Amino acid sequence: MSAQSQPALVARDIHKSFGQLEVLKGISLDAHEGDVISILGASGSGKSTFLRCINLLETPDSGVVTVAGETIVMRKKRGGGMEAADHHQVDRIRAELGMVFQSFNLWSHMTILQNVIEGPVHVQKRPRAECIEEAEALLEKVGIAGKRDFYPSHLSGGQQQRVAIARALAMRPKVMLFDEPTSALDPELVGEVLKVMRALAEEGRTMLVVTHEMGFARNVSNRVMFLHKGLVEAEGSPKELWEGSKSERFRQFVSSQHH
Amino acid sequence: MTTDLASLIELLGFSDKGWGLQFAYATLMTLAVTVAALLIGAVLGALVAWAKLSKSTAANIAGDAYVTVFRGVPELLIIYLFYFGGSTVVTGIGSLIGLDIGMPGFLAGALGVGFICGAYQSEVYRGAFLAVSRGEIEASKAIGMHQFMRFRRIIAPQVLRFALPGLGNVWQLSLKDSALVSVTGLSEIMRQSEVSGGSTGRFFLFYIFGGVLYLILTSFSNQVFNRAEAHFGKSLRRSVGSA
Amino acid sequence: MESTFFVDLLWKLLQALPLTLLLFILAIALGLVLAIGLTWMRVGSNPILTRIARFYIYVFRGTPLLIQLFLIYYGLGQFAFVRQSFLWPILREPFNCAVLSLALCTAAYQAEIFRGALLAVPLQQVEAARAIGMSRLLMFRRIIVPIMIRQALPSYTTELVLMIKSTSLAGLVTIKEMTSIASTESRSSYRTLSVFLVVGAIYLILNFLLSRILGYVEHRLSPHLRVMPEAKRPQPTLVG
Repeated sequence: MSAQSQPALVARDIHKSFGQLEVLKGISLDAHEGDVISILGASGSGKSTFLRCINLLETPDSGVVTVAGETIVMRKKRGGGMEAADHHQVDRIRAELGMVFQSFNLWSHMTILQNVIEGPVHVQKRPRAECIEEAEALLEKVGIAGKRDFYPSHLSGGQQQRVAIARALAMRPKVMLFDEPTSALDPELVGEVLKVMRALAEEGRTMLVVTHEMGFARNVSNRVMFLHKGLVEAEGSPKELWEGSKSERFRQFVSSQHH
Repeated sequence: MTTDLASLIELLGFSDKGWGLQFAYATLMTLAVTVAALLIGAVLGALVAWAKLSKSTAANIAGDAYVTVFRGVPELLIIYLFYFGGSTVVTGIGSLIGLDIGMPGFLAGALGVGFICGAYQSEVYRGAFLAVSRGEIEASKAIGMHQFMRFRRIIAPQVLRFALPGLGNVWQLSLKDSALVSVTGLSEIMRQSEVSGGSTGRFFLFYIFGGVLYLILTSFSNQVFNRAEAHFGKSLRRSVGSA
Repeated sequence: MESTFFVDLLWKLLQALPLTLLLFILAIALGLVLAIGLTWMRVGSNPILTRIARFYIYVFRGTPLLIQLFLIYYGLGQFAFVRQSFLWPILREPFNCAVLSLALCTAAYQAEIFRGALLAVPLQQVEAARAIGMSRLLMFRRIIVPIMIRQALPSYTTELVLMIKSTSLAGLVTIKEMTSIASTESRSSYRTLSVFLVVGAIYLILNFLLSRILGYVEHRLSPHLRVMPEAKRPQPTLVG
């Protein structure tokens, strides 16, 4: 699957505690180009926290994150814990990672088009005309053509999420991070978003997807990681996990997800 | 009766015996003082809101103290403070350098109303900031924006939109507080009504006239703010709490 | 030297305090009565009365209190027919003019508060009262007014604090309340900041006490919003 010598994304031994509660007890992940990795687990297993540690929306207490060969430099913080040593580096790496949130998080004071071009124009400083052209192509790709001057509050949940995906794609990211992208949607709107995600996977995008959608995990991703209480309980290809997993917990988890 | 009406119009008009010109000037003065106070209040309000939102307990307490004092103490007292207190300071400095200067009423008024205005504005800004969706701020982080850009492109525009209704109220409040600046002798609407009334003995007429001028100003401001809210509000969420 | 000045000042202020409080209480009480009438006119079905009430509220909320005060004190006394009327002995006194002016002003603000509180009464609870056959008067007395009072309390507290501050304007029509004492004292002694601190502190204490009292009232009126009391031992019931 991957012909690169260098993985697109490496997370090594990530630990994270919130106060007394240790949520991540040492999670590691290697993502090669084209990998579509589903991250599964019960609530409280730490899967969203792990994803957010990758683009430093949460700061890991220990561990290393490397994106396209560049390691995020950390240093000790006064009063304990770690922090990023170089904010510019963090901003730069975040621009190479595209994140899609559970609650879409489109900027409510901007139109759809403005949302999609905001990053390319102001963060990447690309020429505006080029960004607009690309944005419109992306909006068409995710199925929201013709709504460029609408505001987020005028769209349905499914539409907003698809715009959020276009917004992330507009940054031409190396890796896409999805944090439970369909969990906040009404059931009938989930399908349209999964369809877009599937198309991206088939294009060869590198994707990390925290999800409850078993169908996606089993049929679209090429690797699955199952977290339990802050540790990796099972890992492998969907076939390995669904058909031959030695983990009792995983089997219990799958059967509890009624899909 | 008709001579009464005629003399009424003459008194309010722009003729020799008319006070119209002075009132026009006074209206501008009222507006000037209120605008100045609003600007001073905006700076102070932003600072205090920042202090109250900060993690530092000292800043929180300082912010709380400021708001408690300037919302709890009578406005007249605050204007006296800036006027008499300012007078002492300014005259003192003046005598040191050999000048006979006093505290200008405009400055005392703008500062007094400004500090009060700042206390109210800080609450407006604080509420507006807390209303900005945390998720949208995270999205701006995730896309790689650095802190100042996040503030400039995402946080500030939204804070201003949410603050607009509250700011409209604060403006009305300050417009009315500006009448108290008359105690410094500044020729704004209230003082002008006093002067014209005292000079002609027709207090009732000129106080009513002054009141009408204030009503015109309030109504006009209302319209402006409603228009602004409509214009900026078209992007706002359909209902509170929707994603 | 210093301490005698402050003791003197404090003594003068405490002598003026009852005047401030009297102004406040009378104005609020009169204002409340007027506000009830105004609200009744405002939400009633008579369109003329509604318009009059709306206009009144618009005028008294849209103009500075100072101009209203001077209008009553200086403006009314200008007319011969007022000076010859039976009202003159009352209107001649600066104190009465101040109370009247403050009352007229607060009535407008209070009426708006009551209107808002009335609109906030949940329709469902009113319907429930109708459904059990309550007469309109009974429903008003037992359901609507109690809910209104609870809804209005926070805004009402704010209005009361504003009124305490508003009493300071009475000093501009020769009444020797606290702020006027402060202004005379600071002018004669050039100690503006110290005088301001003392007087300001007294007002802040008044506001604090006011908020406390009203907070207590609010607390007593809302047992339904508090933590549930400990469940008592189970009583024998019809079922098991």
